[in-house]
Amino acid sequence: MACVVGLLSGAAGLAVSAQEPEPQRTHEEAFDELVRPFLREYCTSCHSDRRHRGGLSLAKYEDLASVSRDRKTWEKVRRRLRAREMPPRKSRKKPESGERAEIIIWVEAELANFDCGDEVDPGRVTIRRLNRAEYTNTIRDLLGVRFDATEEFPADNLGYGFDTIGDVLSIPPLLMEKYLAAAETISRAAIVTPDPPTPIVRRFEAERLGDSRPRRRESVRVLTSQGQVKASYRFPEDGEYVLRVRAFGQQAGPDPVRMTLHFDGRAVRTVDVKATRDAPEVYETHITASAGVKQFAAAFVNDYYRPDDPDPANRDRNLVVDYLEVEGPMNASAGSRPLSPSHKRIMICEPGDGSKVDCARTILGQLARRAFRRPVSAAEVDRYVRFVDLAAKEGESFERGIQVALQAILVSPHFLFRIEQDAEPNNPEAVHAVGEFELASRLSYFLWSSMPDEELLREAGKGELHINIDAQVRRMLKDRKAEALVANFAGQWLETRNLEMVTPDADRFPDFDDALRTAMGEETERVFAYIQQEDRSILEFLDADYTFLNQRLARHYGISGVTGDAFRRVSVPVGQRGGILTHASVLTLTSNPTRTSPVKRGKWVLEQLLGAPPPPPPPDVPPFEEDNTELTGSLRERFEKHRSNPDCAVCHVKMDPIGFALENYDAIGAWRETDDGFAIDASGRLPGGESFDGPSGLKNLLMANKDAFCRCLAEKMLVYALGRGLEYYDKCAVDRTCEALAANNHRFSTLILETVRSVPFQMRRGNGDEE
Amino acid sequence: MSANSTVSRRTVLRGIGTAMALPLLDAMMPSAARAARAAKAPPTRMAFVFVPNGKHMPDWTPTVEGRDFDLPPILEPLAAVKDSLNVFSGLTHDEGRAKGDGPGDHARAASSFLTGAHPYKTGGAKIRVGMSVDQFAARQIGKQTRFPSLELGCERGRRAGVCDSGYSCAYSHNISWFTEFTPMAKEISPRAVFERLFSIPSGGPLSPAQARRARYNRSILDLVLEDANRLRPTLGRNDQRKIDEYFTSIREIEMRMERAAVSEDDEPLPEPDLDVPEGTPKDYVEHIRLMYDLMALAFQTDSTRVVTFMAANAGSNRSYKHIGVSEGHHTLSHHQNNAEKQAKISRINQFHIRQFAYFLEKLKATPEGDGTLLDHAMIMYGSGLADGNRHEHHGLPVLLAGGGSGTIKTGRHIRVPDETPLANLFASMLERIGAPTESFGDSTGTLSELAG
Repeated sequence: MACVVGLLSGAAGLAVSAQEPEPQRTHEEAFDELVRPFLREYCTSCHSDRRHRGGLSLAKYEDLASVSRDRKTWEKVRRRLRAREMPPRKSRKKPESGERAEIIIWVEAELANFDCGDEVDPGRVTIRRLNRAEYTNTIRDLLGVRFDATEEFPADNLGYGFDTIGDVLSIPPLLMEKYLAAAETISRAAIVTPDPPTPIVRRFEAERLGDSRPRRRESVRVLTSQGQVKASYRFPEDGEYVLRVRAFGQQAGPDPVRMTLHFDGRAVRTVDVKATRDAPEVYETHITASAGVKQFAAAFVNDYYRPDDPDPANRDRNLVVDYLEVEGPMNASAGSRPLSPSHKRIMICEPGDGSKVDCARTILGQLARRAFRRPVSAAEVDRYVRFVDLAAKEGESFERGIQVALQAILVSPHFLFRIEQDAEPNNPEAVHAVGEFELASRLSYFLWSSMPDEELLREAGKGELHINIDAQVRRMLKDRKAEALVANFAGQWLETRNLEMVTPDADRFPDFDDALRTAMGEETERVFAYIQQEDRSILEFLDADYTFLNQRLARHYGISGVTGDAFRRVSVPVGQRGGILTHASVLTLTSNPTRTSPVKRGKWVLEQLLGAPPPPPPPDVPPFEEDNTELTGSLRERFEKHRSNPDCAVCHVKMDPIGFALENYDAIGAWRETDDGFAIDASGRLPGGESFDGPSGLKNLLMANKDAFCRCLAEKMLVYALGRGLEYYDKCAVDRTCEALAANNHRFSTLILETVRSVPFQMRRGNGDEE
Repeated sequence: MSANSTVSRRTVLRGIGTAMALPLLDAMMPSAARAARAAKAPPTRMAFVFVPNGKHMPDWTPTVEGRDFDLPPILEPLAAVKDSLNVFSGLTHDEGRAKGDGPGDHARAASSFLTGAHPYKTGGAKIRVGMSVDQFAARQIGKQTRFPSLELGCERGRRAGVCDSGYSCAYSHNISWFTEFTPMAKEISPRAVFERLFSIPSGGPLSPAQARRARYNRSILDLVLEDANRLRPTLGRNDQRKIDEYFTSIREIEMRMERAAVSEDDEPLPEPDLDVPEGTPKDYVEHIRLMYDLMALAFQTDSTRVVTFMAANAGSNRSYKHIGVSEGHHTLSHHQNNAEKQAKISRINQFHIRQFAYFLEKLKATPEGDGTLLDHAMIMYGSGLADGNRHEHHGLPVLLAGGGSGTIKTGRHIRVPDETPLANLFASMLERIGAPTESFGDSTGTLSELAG
């Protein structure tokens, strides 16, 4: 229930209930007038002191204080009510939906009143497997090997808006298959063996090199004007390779067809392609490549076209490519192969006579310690050392044995999961601090999306990480690896990761292209990175008087004086721009392909900025069977009709006015004064009565509710950091973060530090029955 | 420069003397499958195709029941295969309904689609729905092929935010569930599917290096299984579930490695006649058709007998510009009875059926045994919602194509009593594929109508 706690706990303003305010009843009066009668009517016939069904009596709660003393039970009551598991479907007496909703709202308010005094519940995180970003970064930091898991592995499922949630990060067989293949690829890239290399030949048929299926039954690619055929290949290890292109020319004009071979962005050889259709030839070049994915290409560089040449055969010069091929590594003698930096980093000793096992223990002990992010026992290491013996029995080298052992390490559950242990894993009362090494991983995966570095492991080894945590956080935030927070936290919180999916209608928005799409995302990421790096106030997310632009985006915004592709900080006048609500990224993400969507924009503000709670489920409405009439009128009028259905109104009465305040931005975030010829009406009034006009009005309103914003951001940060959804008891941690933010000018570092210092981040407990 | 300078494959091959190196499929056929081929008894296959956001039902439902049924606009592209399929009216997924859980019909439509079960409403914790019909079948018959099942799709899905009203995206992005807790991930890159299917040498005599590699792999799996076994008892309940997932997936791969050990004396299969681009197609038609091609090829080579395919994710808001529909699909599906929007929905629905017809025609054009591949298949096509505007979970649009190896009488529009569980169809399919069960999901029996 991320963000649920927030607005119920008294934050004023926006998230008031949809209905007109009822005659005020105190929380305590509501217990006597609503809750007790409800319990007597529907619950206590089974859950009495005498019958005690399910080990639960609800008859003993006679006043508010008795409820407040026993929140755990009431959390169960809340869940059962929300899930409609209670009262049972079969019972004769069942509450109306409205009744149920009233009780749920009361119970949630009660839980949110949680007194943080004595009871400490850190909650429990399900072990997390590395997600794709974490896997990529961990391989980089562990071995110095570049591997893009986002390309190679199936998508991670999201929970609570993030891909760090232990409960939804599963391992289906397909992913395990990819893990096994990746482990082999990565260990080969990391370690050079003296065994004679077996060159691998990979051929790319030119007609398949693209993102569309070859037309008809072609077996070649014809380059009719300057252009190129490109292939990407993962070079398995550092070494020499041969690149080949089989091609011929359609010759015309004075010169033969000319072709340039490119590798990794550089031109490496230019050749005359004198061959003709009857006898295509193979052109090759030798290159040195380091392990990893690189591109190589064949480019046509001397186009010639004279349609009026009297000789029809002399009018058109083209390059025809049959295939691209790569072969390697070609290094003749194994001993002379260059050792990669990652190889040197891993092979920290030489297996001399008789000490082979000792050396393997040293190497693998070090590797396993870093890969498992904790100390490893000698017995544990020896299980991996066995692979060195195995390789020897197979007649292969020591290095090959280490390679295979590394492969095993990379698919071990100790590597793929971040394991955290308890003395009493199934006792929810057994609360304890997370281990020092576990804390090191919590920190590094939170701030870097990667494994702990040596300094963190050293602090943990000394048992001093818990006490020195502030200094470590400050150090880590300064490290470049902290950019992971932008890519992974901001990319999900502000949803810029979804920009790749948007498809604005090309007829209506001819201006939209990939350059603009990229620039939109970059603006938002730059602003986040700036606030993070400069440790500025998080309120600038709402009302910054600056933003980051390049020429393309500045033109889109109608701002002059910004030239070139490079982004820079630009001051913007109050009004149209400044603050993430005015970013083209957010405005485009919350639009439909052909038009804006006030509903989506309103929902986005409520969910991502204010953390407004979802209302209790409305009753099962029979869909508008009787209402078969077509809705007509302006967009705004149609929405208002929609809201006349009370079940829809519950949510829409809150979402729509906020969305309409942003109607001055079109579906790709450009400013407009009219829509389809009608003047924009960007005024709105919230259910609570507050009215406002346009983006500035909305921004002022949000700033007036800045506590709700801080709370929402603190909650999201905690969800992301912990890898679980929040529970009622997490309110205490969020409260503290909010207080600290208010006391420290809302500095970004305060948000991070308080998250890290919090009870749920530093402690854990056993698994409860209900979880 | 001229636009029309293509050269046919034959032109280039002539005079070269060597053919392009396409992988030889023979070595990849598991012996059981080859034995079946030899015995001339083609196996029965099943596939499930999911399309999102419901249908414009007036343009879908034939007015005539029985044999001489008509093809309304959406179904028109199926004319050539009309005799090889049945259209169902009246099937229901009761478990897709809210049942007090409030909004989230798209998440429920996808997650109940093949499970016949009610998803637990959660943003993440305690995610749970039910094992899906394809996985139930794969558990029983998957051992007979190189891959127990394939899971395909065209959309990667959201990479941030929430998918549908309080439901984790796992519910909207997957239709195939390995267990009630674990969704199967899907492949969206045709190239990755092709390479997975056809470029891993897994049969015939292994080279010494390959044999060594196989032995290493076996030892690695043994070791990590031991790791998992030692770890498990030290963990809490929810953590153990994750380790169990890990364990099951490793076991699955071990079994696959065992099955891949094959004998060497079988007749060769035709080479896969399919050009698969290196990149993921940007063109949607091409993407869908490539996936269908791969499904047909997987069946033809008996690489698997069970496939699921999500043409798009639940609630997809993709625009269909290439057929003149610029609006987002999901937005349009809330048509509020606007005739113009309904016409566009109908066009999108027909677009998907046209691609499906391409697949069926392909299966029908592939001879196998005494009939065609389609005769030996059961291909279910449908949506977890009927009208997208009202989010109806009853009267679902469902087709079943293929003769199920002579067990299904095709060429009919079958109206079943209202509220008949869609899971009854699944139970009938499971019976026919050799994975019979007393009940599946919320089934109450089988559909006797299938046999005619």
